[in-house]
Amino acid sequence: MKVHYNYLPQEFAETSAIFDEWRILIESSDFTLGFYVEEFEKEFAKFAGVKHCVATNNGTDALILALKSIGVGTNDEVITVTNSFYATAGAIVAVGAIPVLVDCDDRFQICPKAIQSAITKKTKAILPVHWGGASPAIETILELASTYNLEIIEDACMGIGGSVGGKHPGSFGRVSAFSMHPLKSLNVMGDGGMVVTNDSDLNDWMRKYRNHGMISRDTIEFWGVNMRLQPLQAIVAKQRLQVLDETISKRNRNAKYLDENLSKLSKYVQLPNRIDTNVETFALYMGLFENRDRLKKFLKENNVEVKIHYPKPLHIQPAAQKSCIMGEKLTNSEYQAERLLTLPVHQYLDIQHMKYVCETIFAFYGYEDG
Amino acid sequence: MRVDFVDLKARYEEEKKELNECINRVLAKGNLVLSKEVDELETDICNYTGSRYCVGLNSGTDALMIALWANGIGKGDEVIIPSISFFATVGAVVHVGATPRFCDVNADMNIDVEYAENLITDKTKAIMPVHWAGRTANMSKIKDLAKRHTLLVVEDSAQSMGGRYNGQHPGTFGIAGAISCHPLKNLNGLGDGGLLLTSTDEIYQKAKRYRNHGMVQRDKAEIFGINSRLDTINAEVIKFRLRGLDKVISKRNENVRLYRELLNIDEITFPVSACGSDIDTQVMFIVRAKHRDALKEYLKSKEIEALVYYGTPLHLHEATINLGDGPGSLPTSENICSEVLALPHNQTLTSDQINFVCSEIKNFYKR
Repeated sequence: MKVHYNYLPQEFAETSAIFDEWRILIESSDFTLGFYVEEFEKEFAKFAGVKHCVATNNGTDALILALKSIGVGTNDEVITVTNSFYATAGAIVAVGAIPVLVDCDDRFQICPKAIQSAITKKTKAILPVHWGGASPAIETILELASTYNLEIIEDACMGIGGSVGGKHPGSFGRVSAFSMHPLKSLNVMGDGGMVVTNDSDLNDWMRKYRNHGMISRDTIEFWGVNMRLQPLQAIVAKQRLQVLDETISKRNRNAKYLDENLSKLSKYVQLPNRIDTNVETFALYMGLFENRDRLKKFLKENNVEVKIHYPKPLHIQPAAQKSCIMGEKLTNSEYQAERLLTLPVHQYLDIQHMKYVCETIFAFYGYEDG
Repeated sequence: MRVDFVDLKARYEEEKKELNECINRVLAKGNLVLSKEVDELETDICNYTGSRYCVGLNSGTDALMIALWANGIGKGDEVIIPSISFFATVGAVVHVGATPRFCDVNADMNIDVEYAENLITDKTKAIMPVHWAGRTANMSKIKDLAKRHTLLVVEDSAQSMGGRYNGQHPGTFGIAGAISCHPLKNLNGLGDGGLLLTSTDEIYQKAKRYRNHGMVQRDKAEIFGINSRLDTINAEVIKFRLRGLDKVISKRNENVRLYRELLNIDEITFPVSACGSDIDTQVMFIVRAKHRDALKEYLKSKEIEALVYYGTPLHLHEATINLGDGPGSLPTSENICSEVLALPHNQTLTSDQINFVCSEIKNFYKR
């Protein structure tokens, strides 16, 4: 049996529905924003339970747009978590601000205590990440923000389709960013992203900044850039949104199987606690594994493709030395980086695949499942 | 007879089969981010333009912005730009934190190099000529000025793909050039796309990393970058269309010749190349017209779509007014903006349509 990590060949094996709509778009030649982008924005705003959605070229642009919209700029400090993708820090650097990288907890999520001890006079915002598609302790972070009068921008790039106590990730902060990169729960055939907010003024501003600052063809209000979602991708996103709940439920089914079986290996494997009132997207199914590198090799030899997200937290990257402030204690993230493994749980795998993954891991640790 | 400003649908009819093949080819592979197709397009563009390096990006605006960023232009720096261009020219400068200094233009609607010299201060880092409508700016003079004052030359070649200036491709004169593949350009995708041209290894490496989160490899980032990747589907479409680009440009030039021949009247004048520009890309056919607004309305009543590119020079927009010296400060730009009209123009336009447009323009002035 082979268990692939990448599911795009299956995902886009049947594209006739997408093609049918692409043909209509190409014939209409409406390639700049327009009908499909607007439709998608409306549908996603409804899905996420927010007032406004602004579709962008990718998740990184979504973060940049969100930061700029609330005026984060030169020398402002933005507190975020060190175990994230480059774009989280990259977006902060791109607007001229300084990422303050703090540690994560045992659930791989930003640690509220670490946020609190990193707050200074220069702190402008907190940028919590819904890492892997699970969510941080968002209520505690909201309280912190209100106590210290800080803005919250959620990096919910991996959180599309999840839930935190019944609310969608990204619906808590003043403005939040999502990604539709091909390996996200809601994906397009290239890059795509969006920003959501309940604030009409921010919505207005972001719509203009994303399209050169234009009010109309002949008038601009301020100077912006081009961060538009392509209509071709809006069509894909609209169609994928229809099956998102199904995608998330299949991933959860697979994750649950892994949780139940891998918890038998508590001596070797540490899984994050799941919170009953949340729904995770399982963009990444992560755990900590003893002898990680050897296990990874063993899995590969047995045709199970796995990844590491990531072998180095952001604060260890060369890029961070020049541009970031490091939080006091980053030991959790460093401990985890040595042991992390991401297992495949995507929607094109079924219980048979999960069983095979578990059996292979059991064999590696010499565990006999009774 | 109805004459639209652009007619992308007619073009789609011509290319239907090939475009579908491009899309199918890409999807069959399932690799949608920075795949082989993007590398291949970059190589093709280098071969076509003679540029040493090319980086495929998300848009022409991003290409300008990354060109500026890669040259270390940011807060406190000044960049000289012409006052006649699309908003993105200013937007890119402002986005990296620098200050645009607006320069007047010549009768060719491109940057006035003598005027530019007066704008140079201690803070001036770069001059960014725009090859407006696809007519190359006077690159000999610009390079000379840049050399004397040690300025960087970053070319806004958004509209210049396929052009030539003394045999050389626009966008390859300075340290970097930005090309747009927006659907309304001669070399266009099915959405946004941009290309950065550069002659130096340093700018190439920086831009290539910056467009993909600063990654050197999956697990290592030297700098924090952004995401400005040209998507695979558009890369494949642009690669296909590059093969027909010369034909597109020569058809557009034929149309312009016919327009000029037929519009032999005093009320209409044409911008003339101020220099030895060998090939204009003719992305737009912009004329200067007496009673411009009335003419535009008259044409509209005859189902002829003509557009004003643009009615306001960049230095007079509300968003910029504090940066410049206000109305009257750049007289040529201001005059031009009060007279310009872009006539319907693209490679699928027929000579019957051009004849019709010209006879209606003449009818308007005879009244």
